[in-house]
Amino acid sequence: MNKSKKVIFVIVLLVMLTIIGIIIVKVFGNRHSSEVEDDDKFTVVTSFYPMYIAALNVTDGADINLYNLSEPETGCLHDYQLTTDDMKLLSNADVFIINGLGMEAFLDDVMKQYPKLRIINASVGIESLNEPHSNEEDEHEEEHEHEEGHEDEGPNAHVWMSVANHIKQVDNIRIGLRDANPSNASLYNENASNYISKLEQLKAKVDNSLNGKKVVLFSEAYEYLAKDFGLDVRAILDLDEEKNISAREIADTVDVVRKDQVPLIIAEKEYGEKMANAVMGETGIVSVYLDTIIRGEYDKDAYINRMNSNIDLLKEALK
Amino acid sequence: MSSFTQILSYDFMINALIAVLIIGPLFALLGTMIVTKKMAFFSDALGHSAFTGIAVGVICGIPDTTISMVIFAVLFALLLNHIKKRNPENVDTIISVFASVATAIGLAVLSFGGNFSEYSSLLVGDILSISRLEILYLLIIFVVAIVFYLLAINKLNAISINPTVARSHHIKVQLIEDIFAVIIALTVMLSIRWVGLLLINALLILPVASARNISENMREYTIYSIVFSLFSGLLGLFLSYFINIATGPTIVIVAAIIYFATYVYNVSGGRVH
Repeated sequence: MNKSKKVIFVIVLLVMLTIIGIIIVKVFGNRHSSEVEDDDKFTVVTSFYPMYIAALNVTDGADINLYNLSEPETGCLHDYQLTTDDMKLLSNADVFIINGLGMEAFLDDVMKQYPKLRIINASVGIESLNEPHSNEEDEHEEEHEHEEGHEDEGPNAHVWMSVANHIKQVDNIRIGLRDANPSNASLYNENASNYISKLEQLKAKVDNSLNGKKVVLFSEAYEYLAKDFGLDVRAILDLDEEKNISAREIADTVDVVRKDQVPLIIAEKEYGEKMANAVMGETGIVSVYLDTIIRGEYDKDAYINRMNSNIDLLKEALK
Repeated sequence: MSSFTQILSYDFMINALIAVLIIGPLFALLGTMIVTKKMAFFSDALGHSAFTGIAVGVICGIPDTTISMVIFAVLFALLLNHIKKRNPENVDTIISVFASVATAIGLAVLSFGGNFSEYSSLLVGDILSISRLEILYLLIIFVVAIVFYLLAINKLNAISINPTVARSHHIKVQLIEDIFAVIIALTVMLSIRWVGLLLINALLILPVASARNISENMREYTIYSIVFSLFSGLLGLFLSYFINIATGPTIVIVAAIIYFATYVYNVSGGRVH
């Protein structure tokens, strides 16, 4: 092999690859990048869907930029990896609204890079379930040990699934935005109070008509809703996209369903259906699939509509 | 390209860029030695031991699992090295056994209570979240690797050609191989969070394998390795930025294209151009 020929080959190869790269970028690139406007407007970024919908309502009509981090196509947030677009969004953000309670644990590393970014934790002051030392539900403690999704003894982060808690979240977002962006304060106050009054109407539907009914939950996401309705949760099996459920946990659940004659499984369509079918075949129990509202269309009324249908489905199933 | 300056306005891209500029030559240098010593499988096994390292850290309650990961990997590397020495004829089987056991123990412990998803980012890695401090760690290991390379490359080559002759020339074979194993362990562990377990070996081996396709001597071999490694890192990073896909796999794809191009060049005897 001739030496100079080889050098030429390498240079030609690398230059060609660079050109191909540039062509690929020209063809496929910049699809999302144009979204991020590099202007001086106040920019709010939300960590995921329910926060975005809440912020969308609170900031309605304000001259600001509101973005949501790109959504994972499947599953919960814990195994989520940030894309370069998300990093760009966070770099340009003035305020970052998060659900808190460990839901955004995937961001811990990232947040260290933006120490000055103002964070609104929507769950401040909300009493979460599964706190290490608040043993409100001692009788269920055994089940709780099995169903921590995020980290050992961490709180259950799905607080938005309780309408009452979500009202508090909306108010926290209002307070955070009001302080961070005072020029729009009155607008935020007004929007929030309108939205909260709609949520209050929804909350009124969560009555005590189902009090004491027995259920089994196939996701910890429904724990808050079950608590609001005063349901008697006999077992929780936390089925998640990457959960490895042991055979014993399933057997225990089947035993509980048989022994206590539990009439209903509340599960998530995507992850719980197979397991629900298995347990249904085993025991004759029925199941209802509720929406966890973690992704969807960016529509202002999405939370209210979807929660409303959750409540209707649940009431219908336990009638 | 105006968007080129836009890249540098983001701290995370600058950090990722610096990281690639360090990881590229670091991996290339180590890779040349790994390939020469036929240790590709060894570095892969080390990557898999990361799971057990983290699991040990979680069990012992160490808040920063990187520490337990590094310590475990170093011990694992030394252990492997010594067992390898005792059974030179079936090294790959032994390494495979150890890698499987380390992976299985790690997965078993980490999946206890169904928490595995927390650690799944280790498989793919995320170079975009690297911080300045972590870059500093990489830089330190890079300097150590360069010093080692300059001091030991000839001895390493002698050992891989003929260990008995090397020993007769008073080369401390065992010591050099142990230091080398430890450096690989440190490098793999410190970069695994950014490159990802599934891709780390590809980055160590691919640029070097490409260089091997077209090189005739050590100097060409080393220089081409570094050039290919850096080029794949940079092009992969920029592509992933503009097309919005994961960085690690993009880098590996670029490196793989270079490999196949050099392979074709090699088998055609350099007559293509």
